[in-house]
Amino acid sequence: MTEMLQYDFMRIALVMAVLIGLTAPAVGTFIVQRKLSLLGDGIGHIALTGIGLGLLTGNSPILGALLVSVLGAVAIEVLRARSRSGADVALALLFYGGLAGGVLLTNGQDGGTSLQSYLFGSISSVSATDLYVVAGLAVAVLGIVALFGRELFLLCQDEEVARAAGLPVRFLSILIAATAAVTVVISMRAIGLLLVSALMVVPVAAAQQLTRGFKSTMLVAMGIGVLSAVSGLAGSFEYDLPPGPSIVLLALAVFVAAVIGGTVLRRMRTRTVPATADRPARTSVEAEAEVLGG
Amino acid sequence: MTVIHPGGSAAQPAPFEMTGGHVRLEGRDVLRGIDLTVEPGDVLAVMGPNGAGKSTLIKALLGLIPLSSGRTEIFGAAPARFRDWKRIGYVPQRLPMGGGVPATVREVVSSGRVARQSRWRPTSAADRAAVDSALEAVGLSHRARDSAHLLSGGQQQRVLIARALAGEPEVFVMDEPTAGVDAASQAALARTLRDLTAAGRTVVLVTHELGPLAPLITRSIVLDHGRMANDSAALTAHLSTETGTPA
Repeated sequence: MTEMLQYDFMRIALVMAVLIGLTAPAVGTFIVQRKLSLLGDGIGHIALTGIGLGLLTGNSPILGALLVSVLGAVAIEVLRARSRSGADVALALLFYGGLAGGVLLTNGQDGGTSLQSYLFGSISSVSATDLYVVAGLAVAVLGIVALFGRELFLLCQDEEVARAAGLPVRFLSILIAATAAVTVVISMRAIGLLLVSALMVVPVAAAQQLTRGFKSTMLVAMGIGVLSAVSGLAGSFEYDLPPGPSIVLLALAVFVAAVIGGTVLRRMRTRTVPATADRPARTSVEAEAEVLGG
Repeated sequence: MTVIHPGGSAAQPAPFEMTGGHVRLEGRDVLRGIDLTVEPGDVLAVMGPNGAGKSTLIKALLGLIPLSSGRTEIFGAAPARFRDWKRIGYVPQRLPMGGGVPATVREVVSSGRVARQSRWRPTSAADRAAVDSALEAVGLSHRARDSAHLLSGGQQQRVLIARALAGEPEVFVMDEPTAGVDAASQAALARTLRDLTAAGRTVVLVTHELGPLAPLITRSIVLDHGRMANDSAALTAHLSTETGTPA
């Protein structure tokens, strides 16, 4: 552990891991409740075109990814609001277009190695400048969650009630999608675009096995996020593994442990809390199945 | 939000006023030419068989479903131009599960304050007090820290009503608050409704059967195939004289 702190790039990467571990599950809690678990995946595909454009034009790939993925997220939200039936296919077109565009644009630029590092994450190439950009974006994301949290909570609970409370539903929907896009860009260097969405969803799925409230789910998910990002990174340094898959597999291990822990916890609660006369409307097992299903 | 009539007297605009309201959904006429004015202080029951358009009507009144023809106003303004949403409390049919992220009863009820809170202001003592008394009113103070989705259907319904109560609106719009609700929750609902009517609040509620709510209703309309089959303020007068026993 102390050995890896002697390397500059590892110190940078560890700070980055903490930022990713905090932001991805914070945004992910809203995304999961809104049943958009795969949104991050789609944005990740689109971001690849941004990276390609950045490399091609000699600009920063992070900047390119940020611009294109935020635009893509806004486009996804507009398509979703426009039509329910056509949106599905339109989204698929956007995702595959983004992936194919990215692969074509990055093709031939330093032999495809940079593509590999963006797809699955690479920490050795992370610079201090990258860290400053990521830190700035992370502060922005957490600021949005803090400022708009109350409104986003109601939006994700029930869109019609949010509208009948006078909330700017369209603006908030675009805001949460754009924030997810920024989170994808924050996480892509360490985790990679193909796995980035896992850190938005898996810690939340794990946390909700153990918690009863929305805020507590978010906080526990952020804890799980930081834990898996930091230890996944340390493990990948120790055993020379790619960081993205290590982080995601650790988060999945926490999820499995949480499912077991949650089952035990619920048994204990039902034993201590006297059963109410009327039946529960939904069980948490059903909720779990829904999350796993998409 | 008052309208000055040509005569010079100021009158409060009606909470809801729909004229010739027509709604077409997926090629089907769900509402056909509804004329309905809900006056301040009305306790209006919207009744009728399944698929008669009851829920569509109240969603159209709130502007959640657009009219294909006709017009509707909330306190004298078209829904798209209406800004004073804190005057309205909407109680939907159920608490959606969404992606399964839990929320405590208190979190759900607190979200009813959102129309009264500014983005930059943290939760105030007044917010907390309103949430406390809303929980008290529906008899769920002791479940405040529990996950709302693990409560019974009737208790969830009370959580949704408490959310609307927490916003302290003038007008309540409730979609089937009594459907599939246990006796204890029905009694809690009737109690809450009695307090609201005593305080002069306006209530529009969709229901299959009036049950214990009957004595509180001042007016009822019956929808059938998207038309108004019956508007009976008379039922009201009759009921209010016979306190407690529905005709």
